Amino acid sequence: MRNETIERLNRRQLLLRSGVAIAAIGVSPMLLSACGGGDGGSGGTGAAGGMTTAGADGEVGGAVDYLSWEGYDTPDAIKPWVDASGVQINATYIATHDDIQAKILAADGSTGYDITTYYQGYKPLYQELGILQAIDSEKIPNIANLFEYFQGDAGGFWVNPDGARTGVPWTFGSLALTWDDTRLPGGVKSYYDLFDPSLTGKVAAVDDPTGNLALASHVLGLKPDAINRETDLPKVREFLGNVVAQTKGVSASFGDATNLLVSGEADICWLGWAAMNSFAADAGNANVKTALPEEGGSGFCDAFAIPITADNPQTAYSWINNILEPDVNAAANDYLIGATPVAGSVDLLAPATRDLYPYADLDEFLTQIPFYNNPLVESEEFLTMKEWLEIWTEIKANAGA
Amino acid sequence: MEQRQGHRLGPLALTLPAVLGLALLFVAPFVTFSIYSFLTAGILPFSVGGPLTFDAYRSVVESEVNRALALNSLWTGLFAAATTVVVSLPVAYWLRYAAGSRRNLVLLLITATIFASYLVRIYAWRSMLGQNGVINSALVSLGVVDEPLAFLLFNRFAVTVALVHIFLPYVVLLLYAALLPIGPNMLEAAQDLGAGVVRRWTRVVLPLVAAPAGTAFVFVFILAAADYVTPQFLGGTSGVMLGVRIQESFLKSGDWPFGAASALSMLLAFLALYGLVVLALRLTGLRSIRFAS
Repeated sequence: MRNETIERLNRRQLLLRSGVAIAAIGVSPMLLSACGGGDGGSGGTGAAGGMTTAGADGEVGGAVDYLSWEGYDTPDAIKPWVDASGVQINATYIATHDDIQAKILAADGSTGYDITTYYQGYKPLYQELGILQAIDSEKIPNIANLFEYFQGDAGGFWVNPDGARTGVPWTFGSLALTWDDTRLPGGVKSYYDLFDPSLTGKVAAVDDPTGNLALASHVLGLKPDAINRETDLPKVREFLGNVVAQTKGVSASFGDATNLLVSGEADICWLGWAAMNSFAADAGNANVKTALPEEGGSGFCDAFAIPITADNPQTAYSWINNILEPDVNAAANDYLIGATPVAGSVDLLAPATRDLYPYADLDEFLTQIPFYNNPLVESEEFLTMKEWLEIWTEIKANAGA
Repeated sequence: MEQRQGHRLGPLALTLPAVLGLALLFVAPFVTFSIYSFLTAGILPFSVGGPLTFDAYRSVVESEVNRALALNSLWTGLFAAATTVVVSLPVAYWLRYAAGSRRNLVLLLITATIFASYLVRIYAWRSMLGQNGVINSALVSLGVVDEPLAFLLFNRFAVTVALVHIFLPYVVLLLYAALLPIGPNMLEAAQDLGAGVVRRWTRVVLPLVAAPAGTAFVFVFILAAADYVTPQFLGGTSGVMLGVRIQESFLKSGDWPFGAASALSMLLAFLALYGLVVLALRLTGLRSIRFAS
């Protein structure tokens, strides 16, 4: 009689063996990075996926690695340029603006992303991190198509004090108040009118930490990058706490806030954006309007930039130059429902998009919607970006506590 | 000897793909995640570094907001889990013993709700519970109320309703499967012995489904308490849960150690609840009940 012993691998042994082995694989790189210390590196992915090859002999062409929001690549608007140049776009879309510096830093000197964008508030951070390379304005002759305000740089957002350019603005807009004109004819005259008891539970707000801080700072006569923790921060907390207390909850997106306006759950939206008019119209409500109350609003402007990781910068230059062509920029801002900083694009915009912003009096409008910097990364006296993100979370959570 | 080695290698070879998948997609991220909770957040968002420390856990425990959100999460999870199980039991019972020829159709309908997108269902509840939604419009038009009921939406009630709706199909199917081994003859025998409906339920059905019901309770509790999408869309200011804070730690503020520590703290709470359920079943003698095969 045969006496065979068959060793069976039971579930416990299997999980134990595989878990130990793979845990060792998973732990090793993290321990190494922790032991390395420092603030650099987010542990995110490395350089852009896919091969990045420049065009032959430094000419426009080849593969260009794009790193920014989905939609900011405006595929339809730049299609003629793509077809003519034979460029292949490898897009890496971001979920949050901080993905940009995280991914560029994670590339850690290797090549990868060729073109990106940045909101003007991030300029000081990117300056400090040194992740953007200087742009040779002579390679972008269409900068001359920009309105004068956007060619220069009163705020240091696109041109350094030493004259080096880091960004080229291509779309902008303002944040103020958006409301349903049927339920709230004429809107309100001041942001402080939002605190009226008749609007309790009728205000919408959007979960945009930097946008909320910028607009609140503007209303309070402060600047986001110079909010004193002792004297100014309590005012900001109180103001935004009162705003959120008037809402039924902070919406995850501008689209969701629009949904509240259209469905009648809200009558007015703090941090309103003109594009919401269009969203609402698409949803069947043509009575949603956006305007600046007496305090004005805050502006946002996105600029194209070339990261230090670029190995196909000539194509990036061509992309940027192309986006400043009047017809291309008009098409791009029609798509994004944004404001065009290109003078020749205004008449080429769709009427619905053109009517969102007062181009006839643009200089005056720009004074009413100043562009602001984000809070600083480090400061002994002023609120930092990281502190603000935590405080904003507390404001949202405390509103219902 | 060779045959023994072949037998040894056989199970390993067959299970290796699944093991690797589990290890790469669960074990490794979990271990990495756990290590993050002991690291220190960098000055820049989305950056971490050494030394290893308990600071993140200390921040989690000391944060008043965190404690409030955690409590809200636990209560919401408990309500959702309890409601789901209580509602599911009669449905599963009916399916098992009284549905007859309609059983398959009802099972199909229950299963079909799982196919609907999670976000679609959340927005559907918004349309149902909103001030101008289906329920309020019906109540106003029927004259039941003069004005729309504002309490239906943007609070913990709405979050619980949506979570119950989302998890109900899973629990119904789970309890239905648990009732399958309980033949109708057992209930008939109990009836023959003089047990009424209530006694048949409390002395026959419930003891036999207690363990699966407990499992279902824990399953729904964990998923409901950890949800962060439903509270964002339906919870308003009072429905904010800890999951939102964890999500923001990873995606907005970039404070990974805090997010990881919050998540692991929640995991410990879930394990504690699981232990309590197991203990309760054991103390009541319900855990060891087996069906005759």
